[in-house]
Amino acid sequence: MRDDPSVVALVERAAGSDQGAWNDIVDRYAPLVWSICTRFQLNSQDTEDVGQTVWLLLVGQLGKLREPAALPGWLAKTTAHECLRVVTAARKSDRLGARLDDAVQFADDAVLEEEVLTAELNAGLRAAFAELPLPCQRLLALLLTDPTPSYAEISAALDIPMGSIGPQRGRCLGRLRRSPALIALVEGDIGITVPGGEPGA
Amino acid sequence: MRDGWDDEELMAALREAMKAREAVPDWFVETGQSAYAWHNIDAELAQLTYDSSRDTERAAVTRSENASIRALTFTSAHLSIELEITEGSLLGQIIPPRGGTIEVLTSAGASTTTPVDEIGCFSVVPIPAGQFRLRCRTTDGTDVLTGWITV
Repeated sequence: MRDDPSVVALVERAAGSDQGAWNDIVDRYAPLVWSICTRFQLNSQDTEDVGQTVWLLLVGQLGKLREPAALPGWLAKTTAHECLRVVTAARKSDRLGARLDDAVQFADDAVLEEEVLTAELNAGLRAAFAELPLPCQRLLALLLTDPTPSYAEISAALDIPMGSIGPQRGRCLGRLRRSPALIALVEGDIGITVPGGEPGA
Repeated sequence: MRDGWDDEELMAALREAMKAREAVPDWFVETGQSAYAWHNIDAELAQLTYDSSRDTERAAVTRSENASIRALTFTSAHLSIELEITEGSLLGQIIPPRGGTIEVLTSAGASTTTPVDEIGCFSVVPIPAGQFRLRCRTTDGTDVLTGWITV
């Protein structure tokens, strides 16, 4: 398991009484929990229930997590477990019919590991982006807009010459590539394993 | 491998990362952030294991008999809390039966406490408006907190 120092620090601060650190944890990993609920095709009420339960369980585990760096794997496993519980309950009441078989496959370790890897890469990219100087953030945000604005529009919006957009884009992406948040991911890129055992145990 | 990404690949990856975050509704994140209010509350979490309103078969039966009754069960390792919600009140029983107190905690931060009799029964009148949770403390020292309930 990769040892992301920023996540370890966040978990330690949240285990104290730092609401800000907790908010950062939720902000970072909400897409992971959300994405797994989406796989299970939960409706919004069930998604809300699963989300509440997962975060409440995590609040109860703060300070007890033996390996704070294993948090993403723990979240993925716990979310899948809760999704299965909801789907199983619905199945009992015959609401979903044959969907349980599909659901079990979404809780597969390999599927969850892929979710964790994607979520970690995305979180690292967003963290790296947030560390960029503001002019870089503004330029890249505009370039990421769909549909992409023309260089003339970008030039007008940011008040920079059209000729410097290309070179600035290159410099900003270079900074992004060298960001500690991304380097931490690359250095620790030895595969992320989802820890075994029942969540919350 | 990420070192080898050219500018276009990096832009595409960044776009995906932003999209993944934008796909998550604000309420989902806010729900998670507000869970921190329960930090350092040393109670065991009781999870919803039955909800008649999600049980279509039973819902069809109860609708014809008494539309207002909804049954919920919360289960933890040490006890279950069975709830019946009628029009004006919330009736509950602790299983296995034992005495104690039930604290009603609303999302607005209000709290009221109701006694649980020796056979585990309690009633909450009126039903709390909005979301609430129940914290059950029994005479033998068990401390259990339910998930959020909305009636």
